[in-house]
Amino acid sequence: MADSSWTSSAESLKGVILDLCGVLYDSGEDGGTPIPGSVEAVKRLKASDLKLRFCTNETQASRDKFVAKLQKMGFDISVCEVFSPAPAAVAVLKDRGMRPHLLVYDGLLSEFESVDQTNPNCVVVGDAAGNFTYENLNDAFRVLIGLEKPVLFALGKGRYYKEADGLSLDVGPYMKALEYACDVEAEVIGKPSSVFFHSVLSDMGLQPHQVMMVGDDLVNDVGGAQLCGMTGLQVRTGKYRPSDQQHRSVKADGTVDDLAQAVDLLLGARAGPL
Amino acid sequence: MSGRRALRAVLVDLSGTLHIEDTATPVRSSWSGSARPRWAVRFVTNTTKECKRNLLETPEEEIFTSLSAARRLVEQNHQRPLLLVEDSALEDFAGLDTSNPNAVVVGLAPQHFNYQTLNTAFRLVLEGAPLVAVHKARYYQRGDGLALGPGPFVTALEYASGRSAVVVGKPQETFFTQVPDSGMQPGEAVMIGDDARDDVGGAQNAGMRGILVRTGKYRVGDESKISPGPYLTCDSFPDAVDHLLKDLL
Repeated sequence: MADSSWTSSAESLKGVILDLCGVLYDSGEDGGTPIPGSVEAVKRLKASDLKLRFCTNETQASRDKFVAKLQKMGFDISVCEVFSPAPAAVAVLKDRGMRPHLLVYDGLLSEFESVDQTNPNCVVVGDAAGNFTYENLNDAFRVLIGLEKPVLFALGKGRYYKEADGLSLDVGPYMKALEYACDVEAEVIGKPSSVFFHSVLSDMGLQPHQVMMVGDDLVNDVGGAQLCGMTGLQVRTGKYRPSDQQHRSVKADGTVDDLAQAVDLLLGARAGPL
Repeated sequence: MSGRRALRAVLVDLSGTLHIEDTATPVRSSWSGSARPRWAVRFVTNTTKECKRNLLETPEEEIFTSLSAARRLVEQNHQRPLLLVEDSALEDFAGLDTSNPNAVVVGLAPQHFNYQTLNTAFRLVLEGAPLVAVHKARYYQRGDGLALGPGPFVTALEYASGRSAVVVGKPQETFFTQVPDSGMQPGEAVMIGDDARDDVGGAQNAGMRGILVRTGKYRVGDESKISPGPYLTCDSFPDAVDHLLKDLL
């Protein structure tokens, strides 16, 4: 079933970037559960000569917290291998001397402790989930509409994701709501922003064509990586929907059942024709 | 102005033009007896959080709300709507079957604009339920300042689902053109409101003249948000009426 033509470039690959939620694990009530075969697949990648990084738009917890959660599930992963929007946003805010009004999940606030938040001159919106109340959105709106030149940062722009009880709205719709209300265009920090992917590539010391991104989100993982010049592989886990195959603008370089199959095919192709 | 037609209908916005929340702007006296009978006066409103009966002491047939337009639409399509409207507006939908909903109607409903309810609405729309926007105003003037209107939340659901809402209120052309009595031409009507895009721009797109008032949600520079600009901009509703009495009678 799996189209494996994407493995033809496997030999020239020098690195792999993995999305987390929907590729390594499914989120759920008690922190989530690993997707079968994915703990082993990460181990095999680490044992190979490929460089490995993780790239997530997770903004419901600080990096320390969710990396600890993954380690508890059995994944061989450390904080320095993980790229997420909040630390990237902190760097941007400091670089530009901006003071954010934060509309984010409580668990993410600690990431911003080092940033001056008095008298805000921009808004940062993340996946705030239950914190997306009318009054909280209104507070963010009033900060923006009160600025001479409103600046809105969005930690990703995903449309929705899958939870145990069904699909839930991600940060993207709320970013769009604020954009529409204030006639601004948000600056997206996180996938699919090229700046974000390039920061990962530069940490790996590799060129885009040497790296493959594996994700469950066709637009943000696969499409974003392809725009940077990387290979984009989609897994049929997480938020994957069959309609992704007919998407009007993004076509994955390959689609596989899950991470375990991706690693099997990739490592097999590299070992094969010696 | 050449080729000007006689004025036969005056359309007036309510919230921000005639009143802000429960405070009336200095107004009613402007309708001095002699003028009013010459024009048909119609109140057109996207004020979705009060139902018709609560609006002024005006005969119902003189008031056109986007709520009634939304009701007509779901009735025509035999849909069972999930109603994200203020409780006080539910009366306008009385009698409709709302069990096991297969459509989503979004009005101005701050109490419903939260994560859980929006997730519920999103799941319905993603499964194919049509999304009906009572209107798409960006924000409105609340007693304590500007507050988000339904537009941003409709936009959020559109983006998440990849589907477009059907908008039934201002600034839709069809909303304006239903208002004047039959036989009347759009060029014979003028619309007075505080929202440059939804009141003035919408009416002008429908062939009417639009007068922008600097009350309610008006903010400096709003005139330039639409092209062509307003036919006229006035400080308040009474000023607009003065102009009509002097120049358009």
